[in-house]
Amino acid sequence: MLRKKYYTALTLVGISLTIIVITIFASFIDQIISANPPELNRDRTLILDKVSVYKNGKQTDAIPSINFLQKNIRDLESTETISYFSTKEFISFLHGKTAGHALKFTDENFWKITDFKFIKGKAFHLNEVKKGARVAVINEKTAAYFFNENDPMGKAINIQGITYRVIGVVKSATPFSKVYSDVYVPYTTDINIQQTDKAISGTYSAMLLAKTNDVKKVRAELKFRLKRKITVSDADSIKVHAFTSLEQFSKTSSFNDDEPEYGKTATVVLIVLALFMLIPAISLVNINVTRIGERAEEIGIRKSFGATSGTLVRQLVIENIIITLIGGLIGLGLSVYASPLLVNLINTFDPLFKMETNSFMISWRVFGFCLFSCLLLGLISGVYPAWKMSRMDVIYALKGGNNQ
Amino acid sequence: MIQLLNIEKIYRTKTIETTALNNINLNIKKGEFVAIMGPSGCGKSTLLNIMGLLDVPTAGTITMDNQAVTSLSRKKLAVFRNLKLGFIFQSYHLINDLSVIDNVELPLLYRNGISGAQRRKRALEALDKVGLSARTKHYPNQLSGGQRQRVAIARAIIGNPEILLADEPTGNLDSAMGEEVMSLMLHLNETDGTTIVMVTHDEHMAKKTQRIIHFFDGQQIS
Repeated sequence: MLRKKYYTALTLVGISLTIIVITIFASFIDQIISANPPELNRDRTLILDKVSVYKNGKQTDAIPSINFLQKNIRDLESTETISYFSTKEFISFLHGKTAGHALKFTDENFWKITDFKFIKGKAFHLNEVKKGARVAVINEKTAAYFFNENDPMGKAINIQGITYRVIGVVKSATPFSKVYSDVYVPYTTDINIQQTDKAISGTYSAMLLAKTNDVKKVRAELKFRLKRKITVSDADSIKVHAFTSLEQFSKTSSFNDDEPEYGKTATVVLIVLALFMLIPAISLVNINVTRIGERAEEIGIRKSFGATSGTLVRQLVIENIIITLIGGLIGLGLSVYASPLLVNLINTFDPLFKMETNSFMISWRVFGFCLFSCLLLGLISGVYPAWKMSRMDVIYALKGGNNQ
Repeated sequence: MIQLLNIEKIYRTKTIETTALNNINLNIKKGEFVAIMGPSGCGKSTLLNIMGLLDVPTAGTITMDNQAVTSLSRKKLAVFRNLKLGFIFQSYHLINDLSVIDNVELPLLYRNGISGAQRRKRALEALDKVGLSARTKHYPNQLSGGQRQRVAIARAIIGNPEILLADEPTGNLDSAMGEEVMSLMLHLNETDGTTIVMVTHDEHMAKKTQRIIHFFDGQQIS
């Protein structure tokens, strides 16, 4: 490894870059589907964000209205809690600067289903929601933006011409999550809510916390409920789409809008992973063939004194896996610096709605997955060169890999 | 100990066919020290490689220690080389990244049931035999040619092989160093009874052995 510094450096750079890409990819998926704070109950939390209306054989899809949700999606036996929310945006003008912020209209149950860490203050409760109290919970990023070092508690924040009072500050959720927002306010303060009073279609979603992990039971109850009680008289039937984050990811990645297909999802993820790894693996194979080729004499010596092809393959593959793991660890370390750079790059495309630079978190799951990827890369890029070299004729190898 | 019957080695390319060895019949007894002599390109080294199971003959059979080895699989050949044979090469063929003692231990790495401590002990004994026990931590490029060849001898004898195959072991050494290496091999032959086959250009060295076999154009002439 140290003898061929050039090849080793080249190998490490290649592996590190590959692992950076894989880490960010894995981190993104992890944040979409895994149980990370503040969504520790993700495996039994369903998001209902689409309703399909069937009339005269025609299907119309829409985002549900709060009216539809409150009338039909409530008091389910299979759920523990149900919350309603709508995600909007608002623009602020502060000290001559314009910035975009995510705004969520929601209810008191939102804080029961999620596990937001309150740095200061508390969430709004049922009475405040009922009264339409103009209170707001903001995340750390928003607190820092609007109030700098000052305590934001009790301070006013102007949103779409309405003044809200800050009653709590939470640790930010990942921006890739459905529960992410910069500001959370009671949905009863949503001035546009009345416009969707009688319609199915609107701007609200429901978050359903199932009593058990059997989320299919919730879907079955929803289906039964809607069959029995159609609140919209002119529709033949109505179907709601409620899925967990993992199911939603599976549906999207398997190109099936109705049901999650985990087999297809695994195939798609493996194909993407293979695409990330293919070019580096081919390059590493070439580097390894050259690198191991320069060790032809050593291989000849070892074979002369009794090393079998199997022993040599093992030795060379293990050496390659060690190099790959070192490269992988460097890559993982660099990912910590590379992900904020990526976020900054993304932010240049949408300067109004800036993501936080620590948006890509490396969890133990991501760490484990990246180590597994390193092992895979080490095996893929090491086996063929090692096998090729182990089959080398001894005399040829002793001559350093040339016939002279 | 070594029986070669009708050995032929032909190198073929698309256009040329070169006969390196032609109908070689040879019998080397246990404990014998034999020198193979002949001009460059006469097939001496090819013969030694075939005896060392590093190369395969185009035709003929090889019997070693009463075992027909021509038909053995690659894996069995590797095990046979490890247990029965020791090699000394003209250009030493030491691994430069390994220390002297690690180079000497190498054959035992591929032998089952030998612990690291045992390997180290036997390597020190082998180095002691060749007078290099003070150089265990050195690397090959820190040694003289004679010292490197002595390390190579220690590596060849660490596994107590019955047969030692030496391809021009003194070829790269000055006369004093050559004498030193030769006397080491003579000592091994006399005290341990190791069978030694040595390819050499040096008639003076060859005369010290028990038998000289002359080769010319791939054929044994005496």
